[in-house]
Amino acid sequence: MKAKIKNIKRDTNKWSILLLTIVLFVAIPTLTIFINLFKGPGESWSHLVANLLPDYVLNSTILIIGTTIFTLFFGISSGWLLARYHLPFKKQLEWLLILPLAIPSYITAYAYAGMFDYAGFFDKFFHFKMDIMNHYGLIFVLSISLYPYVYVASRAFFLNQSNNIIEASKLLGASERKTFFKLILPLARPAYIGGLILVLMEVLNDYGAAKYYGINTFTTGIFRAWFSLEEPETAIYLSAILVGIIFLLISVEKRQRRRIGYFNSSRNHQQIAQLHPTKKQKILFFSIVFIPVLLGFIVPVLQLLYWAFLTYKEVFNSEFISIALQSLGIALLSAFCTVLFVLFLIFFTKWNRLNILKPLTKVAVLGYAIPGAVIAVGVLIPTVFFDKWLITFVKSVFDLKIGFLINGTIVALIYAYMIRYMAVAYNPIEATSLKTGKSLVEASKLLGKGNLYTFLKIEFPLLKSAILSGFILVFVDVIKELPLTLILKPYQINTLAVKAYEYASDELIAEASLPSLFIVLTGIIPVVFLNRLISKK
Amino acid sequence: MNTILTIQNVVKTFNKGKVIALNGVSFDLKVGNILAVVGESGSGKTTLIRLITGLAVLDEGVIRLQDKIVSSDSIFIAPEKRKVGMVFQDYALFPHLTIFENISYGISKKVNKKERVAEVLKLIGLSDVEKRYPHELSGGQQQRIALARSLAPSPELLILDEPFSNLDVLLRNQLREDIATIIKKTNTTAIFVTHDIKDALAISDDILVLQNGNIIQSGKTKDVVESPNSKYVKLLLDSVTA
Repeated sequence: MKAKIKNIKRDTNKWSILLLTIVLFVAIPTLTIFINLFKGPGESWSHLVANLLPDYVLNSTILIIGTTIFTLFFGISSGWLLARYHLPFKKQLEWLLILPLAIPSYITAYAYAGMFDYAGFFDKFFHFKMDIMNHYGLIFVLSISLYPYVYVASRAFFLNQSNNIIEASKLLGASERKTFFKLILPLARPAYIGGLILVLMEVLNDYGAAKYYGINTFTTGIFRAWFSLEEPETAIYLSAILVGIIFLLISVEKRQRRRIGYFNSSRNHQQIAQLHPTKKQKILFFSIVFIPVLLGFIVPVLQLLYWAFLTYKEVFNSEFISIALQSLGIALLSAFCTVLFVLFLIFFTKWNRLNILKPLTKVAVLGYAIPGAVIAVGVLIPTVFFDKWLITFVKSVFDLKIGFLINGTIVALIYAYMIRYMAVAYNPIEATSLKTGKSLVEASKLLGKGNLYTFLKIEFPLLKSAILSGFILVFVDVIKELPLTLILKPYQINTLAVKAYEYASDELIAEASLPSLFIVLTGIIPVVFLNRLISKK
Repeated sequence: MNTILTIQNVVKTFNKGKVIALNGVSFDLKVGNILAVVGESGSGKTTLIRLITGLAVLDEGVIRLQDKIVSSDSIFIAPEKRKVGMVFQDYALFPHLTIFENISYGISKKVNKKERVAEVLKLIGLSDVEKRYPHELSGGQQQRIALARSLAPSPELLILDEPFSNLDVLLRNQLREDIATIIKKTNTTAIFVTHDIKDALAISDDILVLQNGNIIQSGKTKDVVESPNSKYVKLLLDSVTA
């Protein structure tokens, strides 16, 4: 024991202290939710449990089941057909299928609601109206917006799958259909389940689409508890349940992931042979692959463009430019801070010699699993507490009156974005940093150079592209973010996502198109990145 | 002859003590000598050199460099302050730096970098490569550059970690002799880690055989060859003559 304490003392360096500080900084929102659970629920909790909670649970369950079925269908079918068959416009379809990710689901929701509404596209041209602002409509919107997660994961799996097992199946007399359903589909399960978990996390995180379609979910419930009932305790309890559900989903995904290594053990790797479909098959398969692109990207973008054409004169004014600039500024600053803190976290962990601290780095990826609304609640409580303490402290020591310094300012907003999107930057940077190779860093140290010099001269130049992709991914996610921004944005500041939401909430859905299009344009950048990444793999 | 390195009862474990990599290892290394550390995979060779260089921390024991404690249960001197050079198995040449930048990387500001780089390049028999990048050189040339880079700051101790394992047999034989000559010419004290006893016999003054984290024989290379003390060492030596 004495020897161990001596070792801990020897291995503790300044990086250990800095690492602990960063970890604590990142963990505050989650810890806040956890600690506040012990304070008990708010007054309305029992009323909420009796009347609203069953609704939240039921609606969330319906959404989960519905989106699971459709995203799996769209994602796996398009992934498999493109991997297995020569189809027209195959190259283009491969990346077009990812584009719906560029459109936040709440924007797709506005577009479809407008299209089927009174005086919408279908009413105008076909005298056909349909109420899609219900569970089914929301499932449709979420599915065509989010299926790319399943498509990307399945496609990556199919591209890495060996042709030998398909040939073995054929030689055993199995048909193409049997080979797919009995062999390929079960083998691909870990991959598409991984994609599906991301879909479900987004479904549970969604606020804009559910709110607009009038469906009560956990996220809308958190908003209601916080703003309408003014009961943070109740919001925290709902947040805790939501986080619990998400961690349950993640543990399922982890179990699946463990099996991937086993399934990918094929050594003589030869890519799946591509078949030439018959004419009939070609039409059918092309339609199956093209429909999700049409519904998830082309139709909503055309609708937005049409609306933008109608409204740009009123909407595109100095206020819009100012909001766009604020959005860009906030996103740039948030992306910069996030990447900076991710670098701190990765490198302080490397430079710290205390092994017991190393697993703590994983707090960085925690935020992505926690819905924006929950993170907002987790940021609000400690920042209000800190600001109140500071006001009292300054008053008593300096006899000065000051206002809130963090809460209700851009600092709290950027802090929350950082917590939410750290994983987005952490994953590519850490993966590249591991790939760079330990020996380069060790060689630099043995040539007499310290940690910082080694970082600046050796690691940073080799990590530049990963840092840039991390930066862009966070930037775009921040531009798209809605629920967290709605709760934490300072009164005098606005973002494109919030502006689009405000227009849509005021039934000015056509006016929402211009900010929405701007967000979509920004969203296309990482989609191109993502596609390149998979193609390289 | 002065002692440059002293290893005393060094213990290193992994997996919370479940795997013993080094089990109370002790030895000395005299200035100017070349010591070959021989053993099969998992014998503890790599762990030993990582502890000497400071790339890993020990659990128990003491490591002294030039009579100064650099590692113990309460002291740890960072690798960059130990003045130990190393040639890595994969050479670890910085891919984004030219050969000149690679070699001059560790040279002190007080020394004329141009002159020193030219000097070490001449020593390894390569010239006109300063402006090239590592990927533009052959495996054997990269190997030599890695050696030149580690010699450039004039380290007190040089460690070569399986330096020939990535080379084909012909090149390996050629380089083995060249490197021995260069190290001797510069009068550098060196530890040469290998699983190939042929390398050890060709280069070293002293030899140390490791098995499962224990030293099973050490001494002058000639003495160990003449009187192996165990079946394992005899088998190792027989593999050369076979």
